[in-house]
This record gives sequence, C-alpha cells and structure tokens, in this order.
Amino acid sequence: MQRTSFYFFIGLAVLGLLVGSWGMVQRLLYGLNPVAFGSYVPWGLWVAFYLLFLGLSAGAFLVTTLAYVFEMERFHRLGRLAAYTVLIVLLCEVLFITLDLGRMSRIYRFLISPSFTSLMTWMFILFNAMLIIYALKTFFLIREDLVAWSQDPQRKGRNLYRLLALGKSDYSPADRARDHKTVHGLSLISLPVGLLFYGTNGAFFAILMNRPIWNSALTPLLFIVAAVLSGGALIAFLTHVFLRDDELVTSLGKAVLYNLVILVFLEILQFFVGYLGDNPRVVAALDLIALGDYWWTFWIVHLGLGGLIPLLILIFSKNSPRAVTWACALIVLTFLAVRFNFIIPDLAVYKLEGLEHTFYHARLRTHYTPNLNEWLVSLWVVSLGLLAFLLGSRWLPVISSDHRGGMQHAH
Amino acid sequence: MGKILPSEDVLIRMQRDLKRALQRDPKKVRWTMVIDQGKCTGCHSCTLGCVAENKLPPGVVYRLVIEEEIGRYPAVRRRFLPRPCMHCQNPPCTKVCPVTATYINNQGVVVVDYNRCIGCRYCLVACPYSARTSDFGEWYTRNTPEAPSILVGRTKAAQGYELQPATEYGRKWPQRGTGSPIGNARKCHFCLHRLAVGMLPACVTTCTARATFFGDRNDPESLVYQLLGSPRIFVLKPELGTQPAVYYLK
Ligand code: SF4
Ligand code: SF4
Repeated sequence: MQRTSFYFFIGLAVLGLLVGSWGMVQRLLYGLNPVAFGSYVPWGLWVAFYLLFLGLSAGAFLVTTLAYVFEMERFHRLGRLAAYTVLIVLLCEVLFITLDLGRMSRIYRFLISPSFTSLMTWMFILFNAMLIIYALKTFFLIREDLVAWSQDPQRKGRNLYRLLALGKSDYSPADRARDHKTVHGLSLISLPVGLLFYGTNGAFFAILMNRPIWNSALTPLLFIVAAVLSGGALIAFLTHVFLRDDELVTSLGKAVLYNLVILVFLEILQFFVGYLGDNPRVVAALDLIALGDYWWTFWIVHLGLGGLIPLLILIFSKNSPRAVTWACALIVLTFLAVRFNFIIPDLAVYKLEGLEHTFYHARLRTHYTPNLNEWLVSLWVVSLGLLAFLLGSRWLPVISSDHRGGMQHAH
Repeated sequence: MGKILPSEDVLIRMQRDLKRALQRDPKKVRWTMVIDQGKCTGCHSCTLGCVAENKLPPGVVYRLVIEEEIGRYPAVRRRFLPRPCMHCQNPPCTKVCPVTATYINNQGVVVVDYNRCIGCRYCLVACPYSARTSDFGEWYTRNTPEAPSILVGRTKAAQGYELQPATEYGRKWPQRGTGSPIGNARKCHFCLHRLAVGMLPACVTTCTARATFFGDRNDPESLVYQLLGSPRIFVLKPELGTQPAVYYLK
C-alpha cells in the first residue's frame, strides 16, 4: 500500500473513531436504551454486523482449504495476511456481539454457568478456539521476523518486538523447521474447527422452530457458503492491495465466483421452496425480503451490486486482477445487506396473529430501522478494526516478511 | 339451577385450592392456568393488573390481550385471547439460554434469574408465543415537565412510583436505576411472590369476567384439574410440542 493512501485510511479510521465515539458514549451510559430494536425484533444492525465479521474471518479458511485440500502450493504465501485478518475481524465480531448484550458486564457468565444445550455457548467455545488457533498461527508465522526485528539496531521499537518474540534472541534452522510444523498442524486443525464455527453459526438460527425461514437444514450450509464467499472476497481484495500478486488474486477470484454462484443458487432454492410451499408465515417473511420496506437492499444492493455485477466481472474479466479486486470489494461492501436481510425479515413476522393490534409501544412493533446510535457504534467498531489492521500492517511483520529473513512461504 | 347460578365466586374456590396446594409437598405441585375465551370480554384488566403488580416499565408486558375479529360483515364476531407466558413444560426458551439464567423451577414455572441473565435476547427470539420482552430501561416519567410545588416537585413525585420496583421472585430489588432487571429478559412468572404468601396471581384476581383460573393440576380436587377434563380445552400451537401449562377453553 502506498504511503499516502496508508495515511489517508489511517485518517479515515481516526475520524470514524471520533465520530462514532458519540454513539459509544451513549451506549455505555444508557445501555440498550438508545437503540431502535425492541422486543419483537430483538436483534438488529449490530447482529447483522456481527454475522458479517464472523463470515469475513472465513477468508483464512478458504486459503487453507485451497493450500491443503486442493494442494495449491502458491496459497501458502497468503498464510500471514489471512491469519492476521482473522484476528482483526474476530475482534470486531466480538465487540459487536458484546455491545449487543443487555448486560455486557456479565459476559463472564459464559465461564461460570454455561449451558451446553445452547448453541450460543458453543459459539462462544468455537469463537475462542478460532481466536487461539489464529493467534498462535500468526505468532509462529511471524516469530522469525520478530526475532530478526528485535535484533536489528536500526529498527524503532525493538523492545516491543523482543517482548512479542517472548525474549527469544536467535532463530535457528531447527526453530524454523519446528515452527513450520506447528503452523502446518494449526492449519489442519483450523479446517474442521472453521467448518464447525461457520456451520454452528447457521445452526444457531436453524434450530429455532417456528421461525419461518431460519428453521431449515439449509441454513447452516448457507452460512458456510456465505462466510467463505465474503471472507474469500476480502482476502482477494487485501491480496491485491498489500501483496500485488496477480496470479493469486485471479485464482482467488475463481473460488469467489464458485461461491457466489452457490450462494445465489441456495437463495433461489429458499425462495422457490418457500413460495411453492405456500406457508403463510414463510411467504410473509419472503415477501418482506423481496417486497418489504427494504426491498432495495435485496434487489439493488445484494443482487445487483453484490451479485450480478461481480458475477459478470468475475466471468468476463477473470484474468484482470484489478477487475477481480473490484468485484471482490463490491461483494464485501454489500454483504451487510445479505446479513441484514437474513436477520430482520424473519423476526419481523408477528408470532401470533393480532399482536400487532394490541399493547402499543415502540419496542413492541416489528417495524425496525436502525437509528443513528446504532450506526455510530457500528462506525466506531469498524473504524477500530480498520485502524488496528493498518497499524499492524505497518508495524508488525504480518503482511510480508520485509525480505529481511523470515518465511517467504508462510505456512 | 345450582349449576347455572354459582353458589360462590370462583375466586373463593381457587383461594381454597391455593391454600391446599401450599400445604402439599412443593415438588408435587404443578401450577396451571386455564383461560376461558368464552368468558373473556377483552377488558384488559389482567394486563393492567399485571403491569401494576410487577411495576412493568413502558415496553415490557407479561400478559396482553389479543383482540381478533373473525368472520365477514355482517357475520362478524370478536374474540379475545389473553396471552401470558405459557410456562411450557418443554420450553424452547430455556434450552437456548447460554448461561442457565432461565429454567423451569420445581413447580413447573419458567423463571428468569435477573442476576444471571446477560441480556442476549436469544430466548426472546426462541419463544414461539412472543411471551418475553426485554427491559430497555424506559421510564414513564421521562420528560415529565417540572412544575413548581411546595413539597417535592412533579417529576420526583411521579418517579416515586417508578423507582420502587416490585418484589418479583420474592426479592427486594434495588431502586430502579441502571441495574437489573434493566437489560434483562422479563416475562410472566405466575406471580410466584404472591403465591408464596397465599395470594392468587394478580391477573386472576383482576379479571372482571372471572375468565382466568389458576391452581395445581396435580390436585384432583382443584378447579383447574376439573377444567382440564373439558372437551373445550386446547393449547396454543400444540404442533410445536412445547406442552404449555396455560390452557384455554374454547
Ligand atoms: S411461552 Fe415462551 S417464554 Fe414462556 S415458557 Fe414457553 S417458550 Fe418460554
Ligand atoms: S436474554 Fe437472558 S434469559 Fe434470555 S437467553 Fe439471554 S441470558 Fe438467557
């Protein structure tokens, strides 16, 4: 990334943090009072963002699958970037879901009174497993550089690197071989854990009986595909921006294309079965997606900007890394619409007929539009993630090895 | 004629049932509610009684009355459906709670532990009856215009009501401020705090049409036990297998 654009994005992130902090102050002072969701649509924009970031972490999953399952050697090069991206997006994800809790100071309850019948508990466990795997992976991938940097007299912040390298001062070929092996092991573990993580996230919704669209065995599968699609697109984009590796970008583009086709196919199935099954509640939920107040997020943002246009680019300009990058950027930027349309319409169908005509209160309505506070808090979290990513990309050997030793082939 | 003109108010009968139930082994008691749709006049007294009893803030409701219009003009009728928590004996809400903050107690009542609930609202989403609401920390008296007064001022006087929470679950809760139950999931608890001292749930006593019945379904002498034998009995959404402990009479 160019120096000027680097500072531009740093400035953007700082600005976002400043503006968003107004929302954060409100959130911290008044709890969930300032938000627009209520008891009938109990999850809103933050949960949509949570799902978005959770899915974005699947880029590493895609890279590892391509490298190990499909034995595409060159993808090993993306190990660092992918692992570090996972750490940042998981940070955003956990911030979103923590801020969404009515009593977030009690989050420790997951440790002292967990219930294993709840898939939320399993999400908590799998989230931590992912965090540990990718933190370790990042560490072992960059350890060699950390040691080298901590010994480099010209480098600023040597003490920090020494601390991060846990005091290690020399790095032998034997160390390298060992770290390679560790990273290899972690990558292999990350595959089943990742699959469980993304699948469980779908099952989290699928097990809720009496929810018109979610309650289907298709949901976990849809979540896995959605995660790999958005995460893969993000990694392709970052590969172009930071590594400028055309070959990798175009092959990632292909993987993204396949996933996009599968996702749209699954969505078509959902609509087809839903409309033909003609269950009034399912039809009501599907109508809300396709014809409701937010029809444009589905048709224009998701299917148009995030579906059709990238699809055409990925088919007809598949060999142009620039075009592929644009297509992937479009997918990532519009993916919030997919998550939003997954969450809200299903909640917005009244569970009992007549509820809409009794006991009026704003919190007891199914009409939901995210308010300024929710957007500001979201802006704050996203800006924090962006800032952390940019700082890491400059001050940590997480993108490339800086050609001063270190593993070129990062896995 | 005896059957047509009741010799005593059902409240008195239910009060006797309650006294008997309280003397039984608590583990054997299964609290049950029966709501007679044929009697309900849609007056919403139960909703108000519940709101007052439990000091529910704006946007939190445990028992509302759904009004339905059926048929086509001129053959139109109205039907009313009071909807408390069903106290499902196979509750979807408790299974999804990640921190065991909501569970069935040993008398079949689904309760929420306010001091444990993290406010994730998964249970709100899981309940098929929308019986749970979240406390978003609303105040009736917010923005009450201040007016001069000799003693305390209008805002303070009005807030006096809101500040003192109800003794839900038989506990003395701190003044309403920012602590629990704000941020928690809240729901009907069959007025456990009243039952403990021999009083029927607030909705049962405030029902102007005597359409709500309450008691121990394991006690063959109780009114609810007898009503459960009626051919008019039904539950909401039986196909979901939630096994409600709240029954309706058609
Ligand atoms: S009605 Fe809803 S809140 Fe009450 S026990 Fe059943 S599932 Fe739980
Ligand atoms: S809102 Fe509270 S009671 Fe409901 S599932 Fe979450 S922690 Fe459990």
